[in-house]
Amino acid sequence: MPIKVNNLSYIYLPKTPNETKALNNVSLEIPNGQITAIVGHTGSGKSTLIQTFNQLIKPSSGFVNIDDKFVVESSKKKNKKIKDLRKYLSIVFQFPEYQLFEETVEKDVAYGLKNFGLKEPEAIIKAHEALKQVGINESFYLRSPFELSGGEKRRVAIAGIIVLDPQIIVLDEPTAGLDPEGSKTILDLILSLKKEGKTIILVTHDMNIVQSYCDNVVVLNKGELVFQGTPSELFSTDVSRFSIEIPPLYAFCQSLKQKGLNLDISKIQSIEDLMSQIKEKR
Amino acid sequence: MNNLTFGRYSPYDTFVHRLDPRTKILMMILLMVAIFLQIPTWSTTLILSGLVLLFLVIVMITSKIKIKDFFKSLSAMWIMIILLIIVYVFIPNPNYNPAHIVFKIGTYGVNYDAFYQGGYIILRLVLMVMLTMILTSTTKPMDLTYALEWYMTPLKLVKFPIHIVAMTLSIALRFIPTLLDETNRIIKAQASRGVDYNTMNPIKKIGSLLSLIIPLFVSAINRSEELSNAMEARGYDPYGKRTRYRKLSFRWIDLIAFIVVLAIFGGILTLRIMVACGYNVDLIYWIFGAKPLF
Repeated sequence: MPIKVNNLSYIYLPKTPNETKALNNVSLEIPNGQITAIVGHTGSGKSTLIQTFNQLIKPSSGFVNIDDKFVVESSKKKNKKIKDLRKYLSIVFQFPEYQLFEETVEKDVAYGLKNFGLKEPEAIIKAHEALKQVGINESFYLRSPFELSGGEKRRVAIAGIIVLDPQIIVLDEPTAGLDPEGSKTILDLILSLKKEGKTIILVTHDMNIVQSYCDNVVVLNKGELVFQGTPSELFSTDVSRFSIEIPPLYAFCQSLKQKGLNLDISKIQSIEDLMSQIKEKR
Repeated sequence: MNNLTFGRYSPYDTFVHRLDPRTKILMMILLMVAIFLQIPTWSTTLILSGLVLLFLVIVMITSKIKIKDFFKSLSAMWIMIILLIIVYVFIPNPNYNPAHIVFKIGTYGVNYDAFYQGGYIILRLVLMVMLTMILTSTTKPMDLTYALEWYMTPLKLVKFPIHIVAMTLSIALRFIPTLLDETNRIIKAQASRGVDYNTMNPIKKIGSLLSLIIPLFVSAINRSEELSNAMEARGYDPYGKRTRYRKLSFRWIDLIAFIVVLAIFGGILTLRIMVACGYNVDLIYWIFGAKPLF
C-alpha cells in the first residue's frame, strides 16, 4: 500500500502574530517502489510535508497513512510505534553532513543502529556494508568524519540512514551544493536503492533530476497541492504558473517534435533515450 | 525545546513596544532597585511587592505578553525555588525566636520567619524575571544593543572600545534565533536516526545530548568564520566612524512612562529612607490603625 496523505494541514506558531499556514488541505498518494519528486519553491511547504511523514512534527489536522502500518495524525496521544515508524520511513535532511558527530566514520554510521538496539560488533559490520553501498573507500572507515570532503561527508551521512534499512527513504535536496560528479554518485545510489525495491521520495529544485530519475512528481505551491502526475505530464502543461523551468532536454525534444520528428517524449529520460529513438526512426 | 522561546521579541505595536529602548532599560533598572530595597515588617513588604507585581501584570497585559508564557518560563525555575526554600528552612536563623516555631525536626525548631524570608526572595526573583521578560519581548535585540551602546558612550573618554563590544553583543543576540533553528534542525535529523531526546535514562540522555551539541558547535564555528569573512569582504573596520540608519529618539510617551516608574521608585525609596532615619514604617498600621503584627 502506498503513502496516503489525507486533508493534511499544518499551521506554524498558531495564535501568534507569526502564524503561517504551511500546509493547507493537502491530499495525495505516493506509490510504492518508485521515485517520487516533491517540487515547489522555498516556503511552499515541502519540508513541512516530509517532516509529518515520520512524525517529526504532528499535523494540525488530517492524517498520513504509511503502508497501512502507521498513521500520523493530529491527536495528542503518544504514538507508541514512533520508533518503528522512524525505522520504516527515514529522512535524510538537507545538508546531512551537519549531523555527523562521532569519532570515526564507521561509528557514526553505526550510531543509528545502536539507537534501535543493535549491539556494537553487528552494527559495525552493517555500517561497513552501508558504506560500501554509498561508495566510501575502506581506508576512510577509521578516520574522523570531519576530515572528509563535502561530497564524502554527505555520502557518509546518507549511509547513516541507509544502514537502518528503511522501506521508504525521503531525501531533502540530496544534491544541493555538490559538484556534478558528487551529484551523479548520489543519484546513481538513489537508483540502486530503487532497484532494491525501496520507495524513494525526493525533494528537489532541479527539473533535470525530475525528468531523468523520477517516476512521479508532486508540485506544491504556498502550502497547496497544485499538480500530481508523471514528469512528462508536468512539463507538457503550462509550468510557468508554478515558476518551474522546463529542463533543456525536454525543451529540445519538444522543438524536435514541432519540426516534424515523431518522438515519444514521455519515454525520454536521458540523452541516450533520445538517441535510440532517433536511431529507430531512421 | 519550545520552552526556549522565553522572552523572544514579539512584533506587536503597543505602548510599551513604542517606548525608546533607553527609557525601558533605565526604567527596568529603577524597578529592580526598588524591588531589592529591604523594608522591615513583612506586611509592608508584601503590600509594596504586591503593588509592583500588579503594575508589572498590567504592563504585561497591555504589551500583549501572554501570562501563560510567563508561567512556562517560571517552570524552569522550580528546582531553584525548592532549593531556596530548603536552604532558608534549614539554615539556622540569626533572629531565632522560640515563639515563632512552626514545627520541630528533632530538637531543631523551624521558625515561620524562614518561610517568609525564602518566600520574599522567590517573590523578588519572579518580579525580576517579569521585568526582563517585558524588556526583551517588547524590544528588538538590535535596539537593545543600540541603547546599551548609548549608555556606554561616557566610556569613550577612557578609550573603551564601545563599538566593538556593542557589535559583539548584537551579533550574539542576532544568532540566538539562528542557533535555535539550527538546534531544531539537528534534533530532527538525529531523531530520524532513532535518537530519543525525551528519554529518562541519564546515560542515554548524555549520549543523545552529545549527538546534538557536537554538530551544533561545528556549525556555529563554521558560521562565525563565514560571518567574519563576509564582514571583512565588505570592508568592516571596528575602529571606523559610522552613522546609523535608525536613530533613537525620546518622545513624550517616554516621559509619561518614566514619570510613572519614577513615582513607584521614589515612593519605595522614600519609605526606605524613613526606615533608615528610624521611623517605624508599617503600612498596615498607617492605613488601618492596627498594631504591627510583629
